[in-house]
Amino acid sequence: MGRKKRQKPRNASTELRRFYTEHQRMPSYREAATLFRYRSPNAITYWVNRWTTTGIVRRDRTGRLLPGPALAPIRLLGNVQAGFPSPAEEEHIDTLSLDDWLVGNREASFMLKVSGDSMVDAGIQPGDYVLIDRGRTPKKGDIVIAEVDNEWTMKFFEKRGNRIVLRAANRRYPTIVPHQELKIAGVVTSVIRKYK
Amino acid sequence: MTNWNTPQWPRAIIHIDGDAFFASCEQALHPEYRGKPVITGKERGIVAAASYEAKAFGITRGVPLWEVKNRCPEAIIVPSDYESYSLFSKRMFAIMRRFTSAVEEYSIDEAFADLTGLARPLGMGYVEIARMMQKTITQELGISVSVGIATTKVLAKLGSKYRKPNGLTAMPNDERREYLEATPVEKIWGIGPKTAAYCSKLGIKTALAFANQSSALVAQRFIKPHVALWQELNGQSVLTIETEEKTTYQSIGKTKTFSPVSSDPIFLHAQLLKNIENACIKARRHRLVASRLIVYLKTQDFRTRAIEGVLSRASAYPQDLLRVADQLFRETYEPQTMYRATGVVLTHLGPDTRVQTSLFEPPIRLEKLEQVYAAVDLLAEKFGKHTVHLLGSNVAHRAPQHARERAELPLRKQYRLKGESTRKHLSIPVLAQTLR
Repeated sequence: MGRKKRQKPRNASTELRRFYTEHQRMPSYREAATLFRYRSPNAITYWVNRWTTTGIVRRDRTGRLLPGPALAPIRLLGNVQAGFPSPAEEEHIDTLSLDDWLVGNREASFMLKVSGDSMVDAGIQPGDYVLIDRGRTPKKGDIVIAEVDNEWTMKFFEKRGNRIVLRAANRRYPTIVPHQELKIAGVVTSVIRKYK
Repeated sequence: MTNWNTPQWPRAIIHIDGDAFFASCEQALHPEYRGKPVITGKERGIVAAASYEAKAFGITRGVPLWEVKNRCPEAIIVPSDYESYSLFSKRMFAIMRRFTSAVEEYSIDEAFADLTGLARPLGMGYVEIARMMQKTITQELGISVSVGIATTKVLAKLGSKYRKPNGLTAMPNDERREYLEATPVEKIWGIGPKTAAYCSKLGIKTALAFANQSSALVAQRFIKPHVALWQELNGQSVLTIETEEKTTYQSIGKTKTFSPVSSDPIFLHAQLLKNIENACIKARRHRLVASRLIVYLKTQDFRTRAIEGVLSRASAYPQDLLRVADQLFRETYEPQTMYRATGVVLTHLGPDTRVQTSLFEPPIRLEKLEQVYAAVDLLAEKFGKHTVHLLGSNVAHRAPQHARERAELPLRKQYRLKGESTRKHLSIPVLAQTLR
């Protein structure tokens, strides 16, 4: 089977650019075939594949042609390729609302008011609010809300050997070594101190 | 191994039902309430929800609170905190939506979801998905829920009631029978006492007996909604999961209990007007107008007298309802009686098209009312409900709804966080205890 040399379409970029400027869209396969004087749209497929790799065209989800980055300088509709590039466009990043950032897992988050000073050395003061996540499993070093004698207390969750201990961030409070099953209400994810 | 897409699960519908929901929320917010009998509804004077610990004393919804105190002196009785309950409710639905978008919020503490086809993508069987939903809700919200998973909505609902609290009942096609056999016909969702009595006359005692009737007989003897029930009980899913928010109503009812009880006609009338104003607000929000209304008074000993009246023109403006409402009130009210609540139900609701003016109505008046209420609604949006209200309801708006211990506000209404206003609160549940 001898390999037939394909006739390379001449001035592909220029022709496509001209078509785009005239019609405000890219050609269909059939139109592209006509444009480059091929008899069947099948023949153009090979070149479309080539153009895709060189960035002259792109294909959308349904396979239709879109102008590729290498087809510039043409003005792309609905895009900001013309003029100065927008710095916002360059910095392609999603934003997180303060709410999402502080709260994390929305459904599992609850708020509590701090009244005591057992965590002052960790920077948590009376009058602060803490957000807790009920869905998390506490890890060593986390600040947790634990249920001790039917009251909730906020402490560092730590391990001594393989025992769990609850340590306050204030020397005046003793470290609690729970003897029965320890109930953890949640892990502290944020501390909020609102001034105004 | 799990069998996916077997004939056992032509569809997989889940129903999740909060266990003693309001009481459970209170226990989640107050760790010190856990394991104790908790009752909500202090402001109403009757039980709204009873925790399972309270149910053990035979306390159920609707029991007067003095009886609760007799039967279970250690019961913790709290005023309803609807703000927090509604946050828990929204979270429960949100957790269900992590698994599927086809969630129907049926009521504040109940929801359906369609899991059909999710076994493969989620890599577990339907029962495991159900168990995981239940576990996540319990872990993250701190409340317990009961779950039914079956091939239709009616069966799923039956399942969630079957084992409570914290139950899970799975009803694949071939295990349906035994559950239906154990369910009396009046426990089927959608069968009221009248239909149950009718069934009993036909010799139908259990859900299974109903399901086993021939389709010809069911079609002949029962109305359409009951035929649908029959199909659903037989595993044929005909009721769809309604994911859209409800905006059409058959009727809009508003009632409010007050304390102490009263026989003062001016006070009672003011209470009734306030309910009418509330019902109209809701109707206007959904662009509906009513052509009839029912007015009722509830006596101290829980008897209700109700009368229905027809409006000269369909409306959602209190002024239009006033004349008929006044007349109905005069007919219902008995001077020597002590009342505990008033109520109104707007019925025969239709879309507000503003064309059916009565023949003798000067349209100028209608136009004025329209303008007035456009302003009233705008003011309400900005400054709070009832910023502008009828003079006749003033007494009801000014006086606290309840006296003595019933006047106690739910915790969340007793304080404001920095930056919160009375009308705008943070959308996160605040646990009741402070940390030491």
